[in-house]
Amino acid sequence: MLTLDRRLHTGPFLYVAVPLCSVVLALLVGAVFLAVNGFDPLVIYREMLTASFATRYGIEDTIVSATPILLTGLAAAITFRFKLYNIGAEGQLVVGGICAAAAALFIGDTLSGPPAVLLVLIAGMLGGAAWMVVPALARIRLGTSEIITTLLLNYVAVLFARLLIFGSNTPLRDPTSTNFPQGTRIPSGTFLMEFGTSRIHLGFVIGCAVAVLVFFLLRDTRLGFRARVVGDSPGAARYAGINAPATALALLLISGALAGLAGASEVAGRAHRLDPNGLAVGFGYTGIIVAALALYNPLAVVPVAILLGGLANAGETLQSVSGLSVPSSISVVLQGAILIFLLAAEIFLHYRVRRVHRLPARPAEGSP
Amino acid sequence: MASRPAGGERGRAGASGALLAEARNVSKAFTGVLANDRVDFELRAGEIHALLGENGAGKSTLASILTGLYSADSGEIRVAGQPVSFRSPRDALARGVGIIHQHFHLVDRFTVAENIVLGDTRQGFFMSPAGIRRAVADLGDRYGLEIAPDATVAELSLGERQRVEIVKMLVREVDVLFLDEPTAVLAPGEVEALFATLRRMADDGKAIALVTHKLNEVFSICDRATVMRGGKVVAAAAIKDFTPETIARAMVGRDVDLKPRPSTRPPGAVVLAARGLGMEAGHHCGLHGVDLEIRAGEIVGIAGVAGNGQLQLAEVLAGLQQPDAGKVTVNGTDVTGKGPHAARNAGLAYVPEDRLGTGLASGLSIADNLMLTSDTGFLFDRGGSRKKAAAAIGEYRVKASGPEEVVRRLSGGNVQKILLARELGNKASVFVVASPARGLDVAGIEFVRNLLQDYRDRGAAILLISEDLDEVRLLSDRIVVMHAGHITHQCAAADYDEAAIGLAISGYSGGGRFADTR
Repeated sequence: MLTLDRRLHTGPFLYVAVPLCSVVLALLVGAVFLAVNGFDPLVIYREMLTASFATRYGIEDTIVSATPILLTGLAAAITFRFKLYNIGAEGQLVVGGICAAAAALFIGDTLSGPPAVLLVLIAGMLGGAAWMVVPALARIRLGTSEIITTLLLNYVAVLFARLLIFGSNTPLRDPTSTNFPQGTRIPSGTFLMEFGTSRIHLGFVIGCAVAVLVFFLLRDTRLGFRARVVGDSPGAARYAGINAPATALALLLISGALAGLAGASEVAGRAHRLDPNGLAVGFGYTGIIVAALALYNPLAVVPVAILLGGLANAGETLQSVSGLSVPSSISVVLQGAILIFLLAAEIFLHYRVRRVHRLPARPAEGSP
Repeated sequence: MASRPAGGERGRAGASGALLAEARNVSKAFTGVLANDRVDFELRAGEIHALLGENGAGKSTLASILTGLYSADSGEIRVAGQPVSFRSPRDALARGVGIIHQHFHLVDRFTVAENIVLGDTRQGFFMSPAGIRRAVADLGDRYGLEIAPDATVAELSLGERQRVEIVKMLVREVDVLFLDEPTAVLAPGEVEALFATLRRMADDGKAIALVTHKLNEVFSICDRATVMRGGKVVAAAAIKDFTPETIARAMVGRDVDLKPRPSTRPPGAVVLAARGLGMEAGHHCGLHGVDLEIRAGEIVGIAGVAGNGQLQLAEVLAGLQQPDAGKVTVNGTDVTGKGPHAARNAGLAYVPEDRLGTGLASGLSIADNLMLTSDTGFLFDRGGSRKKAAAAIGEYRVKASGPEEVVRRLSGGNVQKILLARELGNKASVFVVASPARGLDVAGIEFVRNLLQDYRDRGAAILLISEDLDEVRLLSDRIVVMHAGHITHQCAAADYDEAAIGLAISGYSGGGRFADTR
């Protein structure tokens, strides 16, 4: 018979082992999915590994795919960790992208290089934060669940971006694109730097730097301390005189800004135009999975984003490999399975499983 | 000592009643710590048996093993002479062994009757409301447990909820009932009613085990006692063979001194003053014309049943609530309703009764919690907080793995030490301290009382708020009684008059009138 005993301490080993085991178990489930569909899981997994992590192009594509979910992962981590639930990174990312594209077109040729890029990124962050203002105020003033408000605003943001490109004649829409409407290409002076001949752009480096910044922000600043207290115990926050609404507002706005930064990085680093269909592909939601798998630790978000980036990338690549024709949805299946296993496995961080022996039916030796 | 309840010759069954439950040579380890070390324990029909010990002595573990929550690593459990191995509390209940935990397991929105039926496997698919009502009424008559079957649990007081738990057990026909710290949540009057009920149950041939560390309860109600320390049974005998001193020594492992130490110097200047405090607090008790002065070097005790404005008074003094009328000054500074920062800056420290929900953030580390009432700049001084935590752990002998240990994982006594270490360490001169020893074991109580008296002797002004009248009497230089938000009695400790204070606690304020209770 098995029982669960509460753990007194959770060692660092478990914090790595539990997410890792979730990934392994998810791969097993994926293998069943593949086998049922008539594929050899081992072949497919080897292909995926090669496609994402073993070739130069594969690694580059993986890093490029990891960049937006690294930032949205941070956006989720900084709120979920303190029991605030920003489900709206998707929308904030799109609005950030719109603002970044608008800023880049506005700057035009007047500026180029670092100042131009900086302005574009700031515009994206402001856009993302602005998309968060209403849900954040509703939460702290009226107690409205930010889960609902941020989620609903995602649809508004995505449809608004589509309207700008497909439904109106704004400067964001390229007037020369007659066959199929698309966004105006932003001036090359506002592009994020690319490394060598690769498609990896500055956005990834910014993402890593932001992860470190967020880590120190939460660990070593007054805001981080207050967030810990408010997130853990509103009663203790009131007792200590901590302004809980202001703390929640700050966290939510930072979260929105990080998601907005992800949008700006996609526009200025990858698409070089406002491309609603390429922007709203679920980076915001994937970010939540990234954050959960990283156990809301900002530093752990980086490797997890690379892992999931590779997974998404492999799905895309497999579809185009000749002779295989594996549906790209395998990567979505794996993502979902990873999350489910992780949520189920979290119990092992706090409990240990023990085998309990049935006591003998006869009196033990030596008893009267 | 409270008078013994009527019930014939006590201990008549005593050591001679049938053996209903026993543990033989039981051991149980948790992550390397031996919580029970070859423990023997027996419960006989007709007795009330005290299972005593300090926090961490292993008494709750033993109770959990005997009632099916844990299984023993080795040793044997027997019920009515038969070896058993319980796989769950439900298993134990089926064999007539039940436990009532300190924190009740009731569904607030359900009625009493629904809660009683809940989880009872003998009930069929359809409930029989009339049958349940009859059973509740019968048991109520027989054991003096008055409860209305149709009341929802949310409306009930803690004492009434406990009665529901007891009826739940009786309906399931337990012969052996463990109660874990049953009086911790009760008002004084409710304690007597509970004890009368337990006595009737014992007289009916049931075996009652009281898991406790309150000595006065042991002597007022129990027939036998088993004392545990460090996972082992260190003493087991009939209660008449013990004295409070011998039990305390067995529990703690050394002599314990709980005698008060009177103040050696006359009190100094007034450092905490409240004038005409008035406040409406919705359906809670408010404050009505409360005047209070506390001088440097004295302890002023506030006695009274909880819920008579003590919490509101403490929070107004600490700046957490804004009064409708009146003024609070700390060391001459007006801090009325200016928030906790203002009160703290003026030199006031507040140790709230609710430790894990208010005084501490239970999910955070000791280091974080020690910084809760310090002002920090933009950067949070992590190194400093860890140093502070390490120092507090050393100075207060907190049992913890280190500064990063999460407060929730600490035992009750150690939690209180962290709270006291922080508030006493903040160089305040005025202390508002609510129920500082509640739930602590004998050594913990001794520690807290000595600490407060030390601070008083060093010139601190202390307002001690406690429901425990003994504690107020023993520690205070002056005693103030509150009832329904009014001060109904004030006297110097030397003029302590139990009758007058008892009257004041129930609202009689002298001059032949009862205070307005609404």
